[in-house]
Order: sequence, then structure tokens, then C-alpha cells
Amino acid sequence: MADANEPGPEGKRHLVSNNVSYPAIKSINLEECRAEKSYKLTVEQKPSSIPKRRQELLKWNGWGYRDSKFVVNKNGHVEFTGERYRLSNTVMPALRDWMINTVGISLEHQQPAQPELTAADIVAPIVNEGFLEDMQRTGISFTDDPQDRLFRAHGHTLHEVFILREGKFKRIPDLVLWPVSHKQVQTVVELCSKHNVVIIPFGGGTSVSGALECPENEKRMIVSLDTSQMTKILWIDEKNLTACFECGIVGQDLERRLAEKGYCTGHEPDSIEFSSVGGWVATRASGMKKNIYGNIEDLVVHVKVVTPRGVISRNCQVPRISAGPDIQQFILGSEGTLGVVTEVIMKIRPLPECQKYGSVVFPNFEKGVDCLREISRQRSAPASIRLMDNEQFQFGHALNPEVKSVLASFVEGFKKLYITRIKGFDLQNISVATLLFEGTKEEVANQEKRVYEIAAQFGGIPGGEENGLRGYMLTYVIAYIRDIGFDYYIVAESFETSVPWDRVLDLCRNVKDRLIRECKERGVQFPPYATCRVTQMYDAGACVYFYFGFNYRGVGNPVKLYEDIEMCAREEILANGGSISHHHGVGKVRKRWLGQTISEPGLGMLRAVKQYLDPKNIFGNNNLMIDSKL
Amino acid sequence: MKPGEDLSPTSWVKKDQPTDVSTMAHYKDGGYEDVLEERRHTSDLKYAMKSRPDVPRYKYCKPRTPAEIKTQVLNSDRLRYTIEKISDATKTSKEEIMKEAGSILDDMAHNLTVGVVRSVAFFLIKVFKSIFSRIYVNKEGIQMLHRLLHEYPVLLMPTHRSYLDFLLVSYIFYEYDLPLPIIATAMDFQGMKFFSWVIRQVGGFYIRRAFGSDTLYWAIFTEYVQTHLRNGDAPIEFFVEGTRSRTAKSYQPKIGMLSASLESYFKAELPDVMVVPISISYDRILEETIYAYELLGIPKPKESTAGLLKARGVLSNDYGSVHFHIDNPISIRLFSSNKIDRVQHALEPRYINNLTAQEKDVMVHLARHIVRQQQGHMVISPWALMASVLMQSREGILLRQLIKEVEWLKRQTSNLGAYVNWPGNTSSESVVQHYLSLHMNVISISETGLIELKLVLPSHMKKPVADEVMLNAATNLILSSYRNQLLHVFVQVGMLSLVVNTSPQVTMTMEDLYQGYVFLETLLQKEFVFLQGETKKEFEWAVLTLNHSGALAIKDNHVLVKQSINKYTTFFSQMFEPFLLGYWVLCQYFLSLPGDIQGKPLPRKPKNFTKEAQKVALRLLQENVIRHYEILSLDLLGNGLLALVEMGCMYKDKRWVSHSVTCHTRSVTRHT
Ligand SMILES: Cc1cc2nc3c(=O)[nH]c(=O)nc-3n(C[C@H](O)[C@H](O)[C@H](O)COP(=O)(O)OP(=O)(O)OC[C@H]3O[C@@H](n4cnc5c(N)ncnc54)[C@H](O)[C@@H]3O)c2cc1C
Repeated sequence: MADANEPGPEGKRHLVSNNVSYPAIKSINLEECRAEKSYKLTVEQKPSSIPKRRQELLKWNGWGYRDSKFVVNKNGHVEFTGERYRLSNTVMPALRDWMINTVGISLEHQQPAQPELTAADIVAPIVNEGFLEDMQRTGISFTDDPQDRLFRAHGHTLHEVFILREGKFKRIPDLVLWPVSHKQVQTVVELCSKHNVVIIPFGGGTSVSGALECPENEKRMIVSLDTSQMTKILWIDEKNLTACFECGIVGQDLERRLAEKGYCTGHEPDSIEFSSVGGWVATRASGMKKNIYGNIEDLVVHVKVVTPRGVISRNCQVPRISAGPDIQQFILGSEGTLGVVTEVIMKIRPLPECQKYGSVVFPNFEKGVDCLREISRQRSAPASIRLMDNEQFQFGHALNPEVKSVLASFVEGFKKLYITRIKGFDLQNISVATLLFEGTKEEVANQEKRVYEIAAQFGGIPGGEENGLRGYMLTYVIAYIRDIGFDYYIVAESFETSVPWDRVLDLCRNVKDRLIRECKERGVQFPPYATCRVTQMYDAGACVYFYFGFNYRGVGNPVKLYEDIEMCAREEILANGGSISHHHGVGKVRKRWLGQTISEPGLGMLRAVKQYLDPKNIFGNNNLMIDSKL
Repeated sequence: MKPGEDLSPTSWVKKDQPTDVSTMAHYKDGGYEDVLEERRHTSDLKYAMKSRPDVPRYKYCKPRTPAEIKTQVLNSDRLRYTIEKISDATKTSKEEIMKEAGSILDDMAHNLTVGVVRSVAFFLIKVFKSIFSRIYVNKEGIQMLHRLLHEYPVLLMPTHRSYLDFLLVSYIFYEYDLPLPIIATAMDFQGMKFFSWVIRQVGGFYIRRAFGSDTLYWAIFTEYVQTHLRNGDAPIEFFVEGTRSRTAKSYQPKIGMLSASLESYFKAELPDVMVVPISISYDRILEETIYAYELLGIPKPKESTAGLLKARGVLSNDYGSVHFHIDNPISIRLFSSNKIDRVQHALEPRYINNLTAQEKDVMVHLARHIVRQQQGHMVISPWALMASVLMQSREGILLRQLIKEVEWLKRQTSNLGAYVNWPGNTSSESVVQHYLSLHMNVISISETGLIELKLVLPSHMKKPVADEVMLNAATNLILSSYRNQLLHVFVQVGMLSLVVNTSPQVTMTMEDLYQGYVFLETLLQKEFVFLQGETKKEFEWAVLTLNHSGALAIKDNHVLVKQSINKYTTFFSQMFEPFLLGYWVLCQYFLSLPGDIQGKPLPRKPKNFTKEAQKVALRLLQENVIRHYEILSLDLLGNGLLALVEMGCMYKDKRWVSHSVTCHTRSVTRHT
């Protein structure tokens, strides 16, 4: 019953370019498109870039598109395949040596993944006959295809992907449903309530908190409510600069289609290719350019949610309201525990006239952090600033494309700079900030001037546009690199936190130290790779993002080992005044710290709301405050 | 021939490994190496000028000068905050307070200077070579430090028995190319201009002994210590016992310095802090005589430069060997994990001083743990064994008998897990004779070969102490200080022995035995360092030890008292008897106090209390009722007083003492 939609040519995009990321098709005559409602622009609806049978386009057991991956080619060099990204189809001669030297892989020692699972390997579904009968009558599309069910059984934590590669999930959804509208979602929720069937909403499946995993002990039937067919942009309101989206539209489609009308939301999480509007709301997501556009909670004007108790909505679409505690804030970050977000009204902005990358080289990470703090104090942050530590800068080395490539290498670029202009900088210490400016040409010029002036006070030297662009490119590539690591006994993962300014440096140092020490004490045979960067800044603090991986050859149960170590790291983060999460959310993997984070009465508040909205625990994904006993 | 020349603890090597003499002579078991050996054959000047290439440095350290450190302290958030607060409260201008802060800091700060360090090294090596035959250092400890100092900020905590302690630490760090520590020093030295200057240049920084609630001082001091720790400029050295132990027993640890430093860890400014205890054992302590007089309450000579120089008379003396043992590091993170929650500091700026109750608790725990670890690595000198035997032989003892007893005691000491510095295949007689020769200042040997105590006249006293008892007491206290070096090894079995030896019953239940043990531990809590919550465990260990060595007869879970009163338990009891006697005297004194109208004794100051109790003790000694001179020790009487207060026998305003405890004490000491 799967009616797959092959992605159109839009499926392919250039993530990073010197121009605006999304083609601004200004030629469209807005007048023509205007519908009956005076200022509301109707938009031609297009299918999602992601097909219903996701596994046909996306890896079933790894990150991203099937065609894009790191492989060791016949010459023994690492190559990134496919054509989607700027780094696609290039050989990176230094990457192999980096992997050998930094994390101790050996090309002879491989740990291949298990072959694609067939129906025989996948647990049979629990069936609630009454529900199924009622469902059939609704005309809502659904399937019990094992591979479809498996694909919706997980997000992208290390633990989940490792199970896909080497093991089996104990519990996966019993049915996948594809409602196409708010109405259909209502029907589904009603039927599930009636028949006591569990619903787990599924957006883009990019969760990194274990939020999508089925509770192992759930005896009731579990359905995965896949929102991927709810991709309409219901309207664009040019007067108020708002637009209404259905929850299943993924970031890349949303921005591309808004761009056709000359707009953007500016919300760009690193998972933008696959994550959905509903997922953003449900996890309190954060986008790269939040300095200009805000995080999801700043962007959202209104959300509509279907809960077992009924539909939550406001009676107005207003910029701010004083009507008691904000009910929408209960939905933001609710992680699929209360209901399904179906329609979201978000702010939009005209596409910026000018977009420009930049970079700054600092003598060391400390200076870089000091500089960011000052930029934040002066409130002169550009759309995005990210500061990477030296280890991450060195990783740039590894991604040097072949010399023949049109791209000059990331690090080579800096090296040249180093030789010609910044003698005295120690390559083993330097730290690099990448920048993205947006606005009118004038605004961008002013911002640039301001930022580089402040940077100079901290010994920072402009490192050029190309280097900035390459820095952002790394982000997308890093998500893919974990899969090749797996092949060579590397387990790796990222995690993040938010922390007040005065503790940023201590936290970065202490957490890295803790990671390395825990590895040593637990008998990891090779030096681990622990690196961090500051990815967001606020008036009162920053977001810090860690990458951590190690070679587990010679030690048993790598996932457990990894999780134990990450747990120590999180404890270290909390002890350093950091938060449980800045944007990934709590899900199941960080649940144990929620109580201490928001206090017991706080937890009780969340439970009371849950109890009222969903007394039968239909949204029983066991995330957040859900007490397993509930 | 210098006595004991061929008795050096390593002399046996010469016989066993003739080919290795030159390289092996200064090594011995336990991984010790004699640092002086090489220095005896090379130029001191060259040594003082040697290059120190691979000095390890904390990996996150940013080099700073002492002057830069001062500036950073004065500009720190902590100081700014404190000054603001004081200024608001006292309506004093911030500039004025800042000025005061500056001068406090000037008084405090070190000025570690390599040039001066080299000159001092040049001088020190000469002194050490002349007064010590060997300075043994455990090589493993050095290697461990080389690695550790790179990874984490380090607190060095040596035992404190002598002024030489910190000089030894710096000297050994200089010798082995380790970063020179900065040293928390009490203000005692500040009177001596030259020494005070030198000490600053070699890394000493000064702290007032008492600054109670002086918030400005506390802020400066804390920031000064923590800035060093955070940046890892140098290892920080301080003495957890607070001051030099005059009794050669470990003092009850203090947590002031610990809490000033560890706040940095509790507030997550550091990944971890490593505490490295160092155990320094002397065959003979430089200040032995001065200490004895101090303990008796004869005012200690002001530590003036002149005084110290006169002490140079000591330079011609032989002080035997020193063992310098660097212990395994204690990771504060591991030590405190599950005991504290650092998250609790997340809601306030970190420069505001506020440690939690759990954190304070952890530090008390830690401080005791450190002392116990120090004790565990003290090297027991044969002289400590001899002193213990001599203390129990009031009428003197013949050499042959002494040797026999010492050999017996040596076995007991080893059985309890202590390391006795007893040279391999040297005859016991020569060992004993060697140590006798080292301590002829307190010992005399009569024509008949009877070995006994000698009276001393301290060189710095113009007028000799009139009372003969006091003189004897001084010699006795010197001797007892060496016996004291053994007590931490025996304290658990000693207390057990005391309970058994004083039992009027024929058999004793284990519970009674334990109750008796607990009572003694409570009574002696200021005298010895016990671990909180470990009483039962240590009791069981002591029972097992005595039972297995045949000293404690147990049948059907009952102690057979008669069979258990034997050489072992008697000897062990007697080691601790002086303390109980002293406490008994204290109680006698309390009871003799004239009462007010309700019959309650009038309150007095603790100091007067012990002074007057000492008079009672003196009388008892003069009348020959008691023959243990140690009951004159103000330290002992003071400890007793504190313990009695702690036990609730006296009110905080120190009024009266409960009768029951006196009886109990009396019962414990009845057998004397
Ligand atoms: C490589 C990579 C990069 C990432 N970068 C970022 C980043 O930059 N910023 C950021 O914030 N996050 C990032 N994430 C995390 C993840 O992309 C976000 O949490 C995202 O918001 C999840 O959206 P999704 O549509 O994929 O939701 P899913 O993963 O499908 O679901 C996440 C949770 O939301 C619930 N949910 C989904 N849709 C709905 C709905 N319509 N109604 C109710 N509940 C729903 C699900 O039940 C689940 O609990 C990244 C993840 C990866 C793997």
C-alpha cells in the first residue's frame, strides 16, 4: 500500500553556497498568486522531498541519503560519494591518516554492518483488531510493512544506529499511519483513545534523544503517526509576515518553497534536510541563524495540537499575549508526550539581500571565547558565529580535498594565512570562528566591520570568506562520518549543553578532560577524540556542542561503554553549571536528570498536565516526565 | 670512625653484589634512593647551577610572574565583590579598602625567584650533607609526580615534624627537576627579616594563623591560593596538621587550607585536584629539645634569626637518615564522588564563598584520610622501637635485654603492616648500638652497662629549670616523642589490650570489648587520628590481629581475660598508659576544684585549666605517686580537656566534669 514519491530534482540541493542557500525565484508575480483572502498567498502544493518509503532514498541503518557516504576507495583513500554536497565526489587523502593517527583505526580491522533486515528478522506486530477495523473505514493510509515499521522505530543516537547495524530492536511500531490533514490526525487520535492504542508521532526521524524508540515493555499496539504527508504551506500572510505550515513539511522543502515567494523563516537546524516543523516544535529546536531569526520558540506564533482531550488552540494570532502561563510553552518541547502538533503558524522574513561568510583565527580557544562574550555583550552578533577548538580545526585537515579540486583546502587556506600574516600563532593552539552575515549589503558591511574590530581586540585575525564557508560545510559532513567510523570500530556521538558565560571555558575543558579520563579508566586502548565548539550565543551564556568518539577495538560492549562515559560527561556538564540540553531535548536518554533540572514540583506540574490531557497515556512514548508506571 | 659508618642501612649490599657497589649503594628496598650519594661526589656549585630541562608543567598553565599573579588577584571577581560589600557595610571608600588589600597581599605573596633558589640549594646541600647520612626518596613517587603534575593541579601535603620539612620538599623537587612548590607558611618567620625574605624567594607565602571573620583577608587568601591552583603555576604545599607536631604524633588535621583550595573543585573551576601526601621520617628530629620544653610550657624561644643560627651548633651533630616518601595521589573527584553534588553551586556566581555542609564534611573526612595515608608510609626507625622499650624500663635496661625486646617489638610492628627501617643482614646489636650513639643526648650507659635516661640542660636556657622533675620530664618527653612515632601503628591493638587488661571479669563478651574500645577511642579522639565511621572495622581488624598472634584468647565468642593478659597486651597497654594517667590527673583536678554555692566548680579558661592540672601532676610526681613524666605535657592535658568537652563531660563554658567519666577513667587506669 506504500505509494512512494520519488523526490523531484529538488531532492538535490547545494547546502552551502556563496549565495543565498535557497534559490530566490523573484520572478514569480505575487499578484497572480494572491487568493481570495486579501493578503494571504496561497502556495502551490508539492510533494515532500522525502518519499513515503523512506528507505528508498535514505539509509536504513545510517545517516542521510543512500548515495552519500564516506568510503575507502580502491586506492585506499577516503572518498565522499554522491553529488549532493559540495564535498561530494571528492577524495580526501588526509582523512585516512587522520583516522589512523587520531583515533587509531586500522584499515585491516573492520566491523561491517549486518545486511538489510528482511521480514523474517523483524518482530511481528501486536494487532488490535477493533482498531484496525475502524482504521480501515477512515481511508487513512497505513501499512504494517516490516521495513517501514523498522524505519520508524528509531532516531539517530549511537545506541539506535548500533542496533540497526548489529542487533535487533525489542519493540518497534506495529503500524505506520500517514494522515494527510489535521482532520485525519483528529480521527486517528480519537480511534487510538477509543481502542487504547499508543501513538508515537514521527516527523523527520532525526531525533537524537531516544524520543522515537518504543518503550520495550509496551503491551498495547503502537502506531507510528508519520506526518510526512502533511506538507502543505496553508498560506503565507505578507502583511503580518507569517505563514501557516502543516507539521510534516521538512526544513529544506519549507525554505525552498518560501524562497520561491521571496521569503524564509530563517530556521536552519543542522538537520534541516530531514527534520520537520512538528519535530522542531516538539523538541524546542534551535537553528543556526537564531541570532537574527530566533529559535523555534521565538518563531512560532501559533500551534494547533490534537490531544486525547481535544484540540488545543488559541483564539487569535497575536504577537504576544498575557493570558496566564503560556499554554504554547507546554507544547514546545513536549516531545510527542501530549499530542500531535498539526499546524504551525510561524514568522517569515523577506529573503536577505546579501549573505556572506567569514572567519576569524584566534591564537587559542580561550581568546575566541572571550571575543564571543564581548560580541554578545555588545549585541553585535551576526546571523551565526561558531567557534571551534583546535581539535576540530585539525579535523579540517582531514577533509582536505585532493589538490586537483577547485576548492583550496580548508586548512591549507589557514596555513597560508598563518605563514603570510599571523606568524606567532601556534597551529597546535589556534581556534577558528566561522561567521555568517545576513542583511542588506550595508548591514552586512557594518556587521563585518564591527565583528572584526572586536575580534582584533582579542588577537583575532580575519581568515577569509572561503574558510568560513568550508567551516559550515563541515557540520553537514560530520553527520555522515560516523557511519564510516562504525566500519572501523569507532563509536562516536555528539551532545550539547547551554551554560552561562563565566563557565564556558571551564566546562569545555573539564568535560573533555573527563571524557578522556573515563576512557582511560575504562580500558579504552586508543586515545579518544573529544572536541567542542561554541555554536550559539546569548546575552547570558552560550551553547556548547561536543563531539566524542573512540576506538573500541579490544573492549566489549562499546555502546554500553559509550553510554556510561557520556553519562559521566553529562554529570560533569551539570556540575559545571551546564544544562541537561540546549536543543536536543530529553527523550529517554537524559530522563534521569530531568527531576533535578526542574525540581520535583516542576516535574509534578508536567505530570499533572500530562494526566489531564492524556489520562490513558495514549502518547505513551515514555519520554520526559512520563513515569513508566503512569 | 663515625659510629655506624659501616652500619648504614645499605651496607649489606656491598657484600652481596660486589660488582654493583657504586650504583647500588644508595638504593634499598622499598624503591628508595639516597639523594645525597651523588651530591657527595660532585661539585655543589655545579649542582646549584644545573639546568632543569624537563620540568613538568600543568597542561593548561599560562606562565605568569609573581607580580602578574598579584595584579590578577586584586582584579579578581572575588575581591571586587568583597570590597564592594565591605565598602557598603562600613562606608569606607573602595580605594581605601583596595589599598589595604594591596598591603595584605604584599605581606602574603611569594616571589619565587630562580636565582635565589639556586643559592639556597647550594647552601642547603651543604647543610644536609653535614647533618644527614642519607636522604632516601622513593623513586616511584618522583616518576608519578612527573606525570601527575602535567595532568592536574597538585596539592602537596607533607607531614610536619620539623622546619626542615619544607626545605626538604623544595630541595628534592629541585633535585629531581620537578617544579618548585609554593608553600603556605605561618607568620612565625616574619620576624626574621633575612629568612623571611629568603623564604619568599623560594616560594613561601605567608598566612596569618588566625584571621577568623576578617572577610577581606579570607577573600584575598582564598583567591591567592585558588588562582595558583586554577592556573597550575606550581604545586601548592601546605601542612594539613597546621603546625609542626611537637610530639612527633600526627596532630588533628585542620581544614582551613583545604577548604580554601578545594572550593575551586567544588565549583567546577578545575577538572580535578590531586592531593599528594608526603611522609617524612627522621631518625632524629632537629628540634627535639626545643619541643620538649615547649610541651612543658616553658616559653619557646622566639624564632629569631639569631636563634636559628645558634641552632647551627646542630650542624656538627649527626641526625641519621631521612626517609622521604611520596604517597599515591588522592583524586578529589574520586574521593568526593557520591558524597557531594557540585550542581548546587550552579545558581550563584562562583566567587561568593558558600560551601555546602556535605562539602565541609568531605573535607574533614579527607583531612583525616590524608593523615592516615601519611602515617601509613612513615618509616619506623629502629630508634622508635628502642625508645618504646626504654620508656617501659624505668630502672634502666641491659643492652642484651634491650636488643631482645627491640627484636620482639620489631616483629610486632611489621606484623601490623608498618615498614621498619632495619638494615638487611646487619647484626641487631650493631643496629641498636648505632642508634644509641645517635641519641646519646638523652641516654646514658652506666659502668655496669645499664642503659637509662639522661638529664638534659637545653643549650638555649640561661637559667636551668630549678625543679629536678621538670628536667627529667624534658628528657623523658624527648624519648617519648620517638615512642610516639610508633603509636599510630599500635593504637587499635593498644586500646583493645587496655580494655582486656583492666577487665575485672573472667570472660568478656565481644560486645563489652567493643564498648570498651569505643569508649577509649572517644576518650583518645584528640590524641590520635581516627576515621569517622570506621570504628567497627578497625576494632575487628585489631581483634583479628591480636587473636592471630596469640595475644587475645577467644572462645565461643568470649574473651578469656586471664589468658589474654600476657606480654603482648601488657606491652601494648603500657604504650598508651601515660595518656590515660594524664587524663586521670585532669579529672582529679576537676574534682578538687572548689565549687560555688551550688557546689559547681567555677568556670575557667582552658589554658589555666591545663596549667593548673599540670601543677597537680607535678605534685603527684614529686610525691612519687605517679612516675610517668608525660602527664606534665600540656599537649596531653590539652587534648584530654578537649576530649572531655567533646564527650559532654563539661559544658562549653567549662564548668564541671561528670562523675561517671572520672570513675570510668579511674577504672581504666586502676591497674597502674
Ligand atoms: C545530524 C543532526 C543534526 C541536528 N542538528 C540540530 C540542530 O541544529 N538544532 C536542533 O534543534 N536539533 C538538531 N538535531 C536534532 C533533531 O534534528 C531535532 O530534534 C528535530 O527538531 C527533530 O525533528 P524531526 O522532525 O526529525 O522529529 P522526530 O525525530 O521525528 O521526532 C522528535 C520528537 O518529536 C516528536 N514529534 C515529531 N513530530 C511531531 C508532531 N508533529 N507532533 C508532536 N510530536 C512530534 C516525536 O514523537 C519525537 O518525540 C540534529 C539531529 C541530527 C541527527
